[in-house]
Amino acid sequence: MKIIFIGTSSGAGKTTISALYCRYLYRKGIKVTPFKASNLSLNSYVTKNGKEIGMGQAFQAWASNIEPTEDMNPVLLKPSGNNTIQLILRGEPFMDISEQNPIDTKMVMEKVCESFDRLSKEYDAVVCEGSGSPVELNLMDRDLANLRMLRERSIPAILIGDIERGGVFAAIYGTWRLIPDKQKHLLKGFIINRFRGDSSILKSGIEKIEKLTGMKCLGVMPYLNLKFPEEDSMSDIGGELKGSDVRSAFMNNLDCLIEAATENGLDLDHINMIAKN
Amino acid sequence: MDNITKKVEEEIKKGYIGSNHECPYHPSHFTGQDCTFCYCPFYPCNDNQLGQMIISRREKEIWACTYCLFIHRPEVAKFIMSEINRLGITTSKDPRMQDIFLETKKRFFHIGKALMILGATSDAGKSITVAAICRLLHRRGYLVSPFKSQNMSLNSKVTAKGSEIAMIQVLQSKAAGLKNPDHHMNPILLKPKGDTVSQVMVEGEPFGDYNVEDYYNKFVPGPGKEIVRKNIDFLKERYDVVVMEGAGSPAEINIYDQDIANMRAAEIADANCILVVNTEWGGSFAYAVGTVELIPEIDRKRIKGIILNNIRGDPKKIEDGARLLESIIGIPVIGIIPHIKLDLPSEDSEAFRGMHTKGNGKIIVSVIKFPRIANFTDLDPLFMEDTTVKFISNPEELKGSDVIILPGTKNTIDDLLWMRANGLETAISELKGKIPILGICGGYQMMGKYLKDPAGIEGKVPQTLEGMGFFDNITEWNEYKKKVIQDNGIMIETGEPITGYEIHMGLSTIVEKPLFEIDRYSSKENEGSVREKDLTFGTYLHGVFDKPAFRKYFLSFVKHDGKYVEIKNPRDYDELLEDNINILADGFEKGLNIEKIIDIAGVKR
Ligand code: SF4
Repeated sequence: MKIIFIGTSSGAGKTTISALYCRYLYRKGIKVTPFKASNLSLNSYVTKNGKEIGMGQAFQAWASNIEPTEDMNPVLLKPSGNNTIQLILRGEPFMDISEQNPIDTKMVMEKVCESFDRLSKEYDAVVCEGSGSPVELNLMDRDLANLRMLRERSIPAILIGDIERGGVFAAIYGTWRLIPDKQKHLLKGFIINRFRGDSSILKSGIEKIEKLTGMKCLGVMPYLNLKFPEEDSMSDIGGELKGSDVRSAFMNNLDCLIEAATENGLDLDHINMIAKN
Repeated sequence: MDNITKKVEEEIKKGYIGSNHECPYHPSHFTGQDCTFCYCPFYPCNDNQLGQMIISRREKEIWACTYCLFIHRPEVAKFIMSEINRLGITTSKDPRMQDIFLETKKRFFHIGKALMILGATSDAGKSITVAAICRLLHRRGYLVSPFKSQNMSLNSKVTAKGSEIAMIQVLQSKAAGLKNPDHHMNPILLKPKGDTVSQVMVEGEPFGDYNVEDYYNKFVPGPGKEIVRKNIDFLKERYDVVVMEGAGSPAEINIYDQDIANMRAAEIADANCILVVNTEWGGSFAYAVGTVELIPEIDRKRIKGIILNNIRGDPKKIEDGARLLESIIGIPVIGIIPHIKLDLPSEDSEAFRGMHTKGNGKIIVSVIKFPRIANFTDLDPLFMEDTTVKFISNPEELKGSDVIILPGTKNTIDDLLWMRANGLETAISELKGKIPILGICGGYQMMGKYLKDPAGIEGKVPQTLEGMGFFDNITEWNEYKKKVIQDNGIMIETGEPITGYEIHMGLSTIVEKPLFEIDRYSSKENEGSVREKDLTFGTYLHGVFDKPAFRKYFLSFVKHDGKYVEIKNPRDYDELLEDNINILADGFEKGLNIEKIIDIAGVKR
């Protein structure tokens, strides 16, 4: 099984929904691992054997009840000021990227795919997370975590749009629209995140997007005032985190969210079907 | 009437004077106004496109010129005076004045144009874009008004006429150089009461409570559209450009036909539109494409430009993307705006996101984050001082506070009960006399001895509650009525000027030493309460920190690490806003093709 959750913007909720799905599969007794090809974040975690990865993947690994490893986030980009970015490759500092010293995308992508393949062999399910938006017109050729990953390994994708700031239909439709036609068939569905109130008001809009794009709406996630690890460098969305042990507090929050999401009709069976293809 | 005739005769004798900066009331209407005719030589013109007939307090019909700016347009005043001189007219009673009026109106009166700023998301930066464009057009000599048909906001202000409108339209009208923001600029104001119910204010007055469904199904197709039409038409008659602000995203296709804040308003106003996209969160190209393409063709044609806003890093890096975007949607990118650091009050949604901590100064100001908190922009001037403002909602977070502020609330009783239940009330009471505690509006009502609500107007059931007991004041809700009024006066302690405004249900009987003396029509009125030895302060005045007087006085009671704090910035908050509006406009000017905006607005000269 494999699937990738792609956000229409930073902070759309990819990390949390990926973690949610990891946890759900783990609870069903499926051997599952998270994966994010590339992460732009200052927020990192050091694994038991001393490798540095994004905090989000550590959290997702715990949700899957496994130990985080460097394969789960082979590329970690840490902004280090002065227009340079430190590249952590498979958990080790590799180079400082700058305009004069660009990244060798091909080599890096090979490493990324190696990691992905290793995980695919070892686990029954690989739950991937995209990075930022997949359709930044000025960056699309340099993007590793989204379309590149989709293409290289034919991973079916689910878009996640954040409704809190408004314009969620535009975000989902616009993202679909800008994804190259060759990859459009991999976009299977979308999820509307952080909704407050009675979701029946969205119905006509959802139906229209389904018709326009052929993607299926897999659920409307309720807004809950719960804190989860920050997804990209940008987002601190606040929320409650109770308990002294952060890790178990996160798991607690995640369990609450799974419950609320299923009650609200998040179609996990359908997501399974997509992931199995 | 005779009095006016005499004044006009004097004006004619004096001749053309342009702007009169000597006048203590200058500018009474807008920056750059012409003051030649402080009294209008055409009064009463009886022309409804300029003034209006109203019923006076003595129930007589009188001609009112409150919203007329025509006579203060420099080109108009100049022309009238030259005509008066040419014809040798000495008094407004001269019958030829009527001809001059008709000729002036024919030459200079025109219905203005509307330009609409849409946002791809609620925090796209529409409000500040409107403010920036208002200022840039104002700088070029246009008479500009902001407009937002429907605003959902917890932060409102009171106009000179005692109408309630959204805070942000007041700020934008300041950017437009206007002195008297009025209710036409925000004819529908929604004040959220809970997750789904809002109080709907129409033209500055309470209209009724609506839930989401009824609002869209009953209010909008009923009175809503007409309200928008009436007010936009009114503004177009008086201004060269009305810069309209959309609400949320214009592409919410589930409520598209009921949305009177975006494309319907643009249609009513016959406005061309500009779409602003915030690049900060990524996905901006998708938002732009999606927004444009989900809008039905007939409305889409109005969108004439895209602004990519809030770019961090080198704006050049986004240019390739911008060109690609243009080729996909066929609409030019007319602005690439860098992130601009500003001290301006922000739109609600942004403010809520950031509502943990603001600033990083020494003085720790703990603001109680009531579940129904309102008018929290009251606190913004505190950022001029060395403060960190923390929004807190439980007793543990009070630790380390140097000051506590109980802000305004949409519901005093419910929020007091909330504090009572979660222990905040006790925790705050234990700090009485140790650190300064200030209540504003609802927070002030809570600090009194009793809150009496015999008819269940404020609370859900009829009840009398004990207050926090910091003051012996008693607040009562005896009728469903709101007090909405601007206040000007002095600080009693120092005699320095103070301004503010009141918006509240419930009236208080004040028995404490007052803080302020407020000017009323023909009398003075005491306001506020203070017990210096308890370090407790209370006032109904929103915006109480805007003028330096109270900020200085209040902070002089504050200690940090056992030492009294220094007051850094005894400036008027208004001046700071003015500076920031200029910084904003300068920032936009760099990345925005303003000639193109003028073109799109349809007001090229
Ligand atoms: S409405 Fe304007 S033009 Fe007419 S009388 Fe009043 S000030 Fe003069």
